[in-house]
Amino acid sequence: MAQSGKGKLNYRCPSCFLRDLDIDMFYDKDKKEYYCLRCQYTGTEEDILKKNEMIRFRYRAMMDRFEKFDFD
Amino acid sequence: MEQLVLNLIHRPEMVPEYAEKVTGHGKTEDIGRKALLTESLDIFKTQQEAAHKNGLKVTIQMTYASLFNDEAVALAKEHHEKYGDEIALSLLGLPCREFREKYHTKDFCIWMFSMEDKKEIVNDVFEKFHERFGFYPESTGSYYMDAELTNYIKEKYPMVKCAVATCWEEGPKAYHTCNNSWYTLFDGGPWAPWIPSKQNTHAPAANEAEDSGIVAIPHLSRDLIACYDGNGSNFGTHPQNVLRGMIYDSKTWEYPYLYNLIDQYRALAKYNNGYAYNMMFVGPGWMNKMGRWEAPYELLKKSYEDGCAYYGQLKKEGKLLDLTMAEFADYYREKKHYTEPECALWRDILYGSDKQVFWYCDPFLRACVNMDQGGAIVDLRPYAAKLKWEVGIGTKHVQDASYPFLIQEKYRAGYFTHYAGEGTVRSAKVCYNGEEVDLCLCRTKAHFSEETSADGKVTRILTLDPVEIEFDGLTVTLQTKEYFAEGSGSIKIERTILKMSDPGAKVEINEYMVACYGTTEYPEDMTGITLTCQKGESAERISYEYKCREAALTGADEVSAVIPAIETKVSLTSDSEAEGYIREGYAFSPIFTLGYQKTMSEREVFATWLNLEKAN
Repeated sequence: MAQSGKGKLNYRCPSCFLRDLDIDMFYDKDKKEYYCLRCQYTGTEEDILKKNEMIRFRYRAMMDRFEKFDFD
Repeated sequence: MEQLVLNLIHRPEMVPEYAEKVTGHGKTEDIGRKALLTESLDIFKTQQEAAHKNGLKVTIQMTYASLFNDEAVALAKEHHEKYGDEIALSLLGLPCREFREKYHTKDFCIWMFSMEDKKEIVNDVFEKFHERFGFYPESTGSYYMDAELTNYIKEKYPMVKCAVATCWEEGPKAYHTCNNSWYTLFDGGPWAPWIPSKQNTHAPAANEAEDSGIVAIPHLSRDLIACYDGNGSNFGTHPQNVLRGMIYDSKTWEYPYLYNLIDQYRALAKYNNGYAYNMMFVGPGWMNKMGRWEAPYELLKKSYEDGCAYYGQLKKEGKLLDLTMAEFADYYREKKHYTEPECALWRDILYGSDKQVFWYCDPFLRACVNMDQGGAIVDLRPYAAKLKWEVGIGTKHVQDASYPFLIQEKYRAGYFTHYAGEGTVRSAKVCYNGEEVDLCLCRTKAHFSEETSADGKVTRILTLDPVEIEFDGLTVTLQTKEYFAEGSGSIKIERTILKMSDPGAKVEINEYMVACYGTTEYPEDMTGITLTCQKGESAERISYEYKCREAALTGADEVSAVIPAIETKVSLTSDSEAEGYIREGYAFSPIFTLGYQKTMSEREVFATWLNLEKAN
């Protein structure tokens, strides 16, 4: 089994990101999957991108444009 | 006219912090790689172009490494001539072959070196700068500048007047985000420019004698809610940090949050005599051709160009003043006086919660008031102590440069704890017929105003919307007002019972402060703290031994704690006949409590003061 490397982009683990951890993932060519060195997450690029969308659930106002910053 | 003042800073970092580690994966380390040097300089050129095409002036912070690069030096000279950019000197970006051969270390954070090395490096880089440019820089900086370092620079190079001196709330949270491998531990400082004291960088100078001689600016302008809770490096005026936080539409590549953040800073002019400030400083590692994490180069570049374009647009509309760091230092000293606080009534612009907090910072204290918790103080730093806190190799704090807290709701719980013990917070409980309601559970909003007394002193006032407290058989309408009297080192909290459903009813109010001290998530030794309940000549004292003891005195003049480890005395006082009390904690709850209890009727007002002093 050959050593793992980085993918074309340097994806972070979506599971760790949700607990405020930026952990680079590595790509396993044999299994065709990215995996996290810290936790047990593994996934394809497609799955990572899907999870990255899910991560944004907490940013409910992410796409709003605010004009008022007080409550006066 | 209200204007946002902008400091836009670029550094030609020949070996960007992230580039060698990230883009060099799979190669043996070589910080002299030609490809790395070429790419680094290209990124600097791209950043300069983005700024200049939007009509923005830049402070070019030359790194040590770039002083050995003729092209970088020539570019800086050219852009100084052509665009009025300031040529300054950064103490970031030390790593390069020349530095490593000379100092035989891979350390790169100036505040972590021994004092002896700090002096040698400062002499070296300042003299190298002079050799290349024929003058000494007026501005410098790093992620953090400890007081001893600043004092040395000021003594040796008195022309230095401005420095990047801290990243706001970059501490244990940033450390955690980087899998405990990024040692920038400096929570507890100001979020906006300030004049650091000679004793401690975080604590602003109260007068000329304490003045370090520089105007400090923060590294980036950060979201005052998101950064306090999460990774600071996701929520600031650093477009690629916004990408790091994944705060953008992955299909359209839009990020209105970045503009909301800038606009909220603009809105802070309302609380600071018409002045507001932004700093943008993106290291070249964030714009490398390999992309950064899931963001491709095109998105990294677009975000930077968009950031510059927005500032440029504000400038065209007359809403922004771009200054170099040295120009800003003069502007700031003209605009602000020593005891004038920095105030920020800040709302959530990301999570859709409408949560609102108020940050206050002056030479005596930094505090955060949380309106989602009824106006409770959820963070408190006793700057009055002007704590001498040397950092770097050879000191007691090699990495930990944070200013200690008395209250920190994230590191020491706050209102909510698990099963046992208490967390740090300054709040009040209202009691009636055996029921108790903490104001931490009464969500509200605040309004800002100022009052000038006959002697010209200004008090900043937070007036909270009244809250309703529902007991079995009684509803109480209560209002909180919080007063920050300039230069006093005190916060007055006033509770008024506006109305009760039974006008003849009486309720008990318990004004309390649960506190401890620390800089991290882990507890410190509380032994040595003395709690005192004082009334005239008589006093009840508890020397902290984790024994869960308490004492009280009716009509107490003051209840206090002296914490020798951080040379701080914190007290509560009251102008009413109330019972003052002190409570010791225990091993599972290493905190102490100071408080006053009183019976209140409708229309009655109860005021208490939280006071901070240096305890020698």
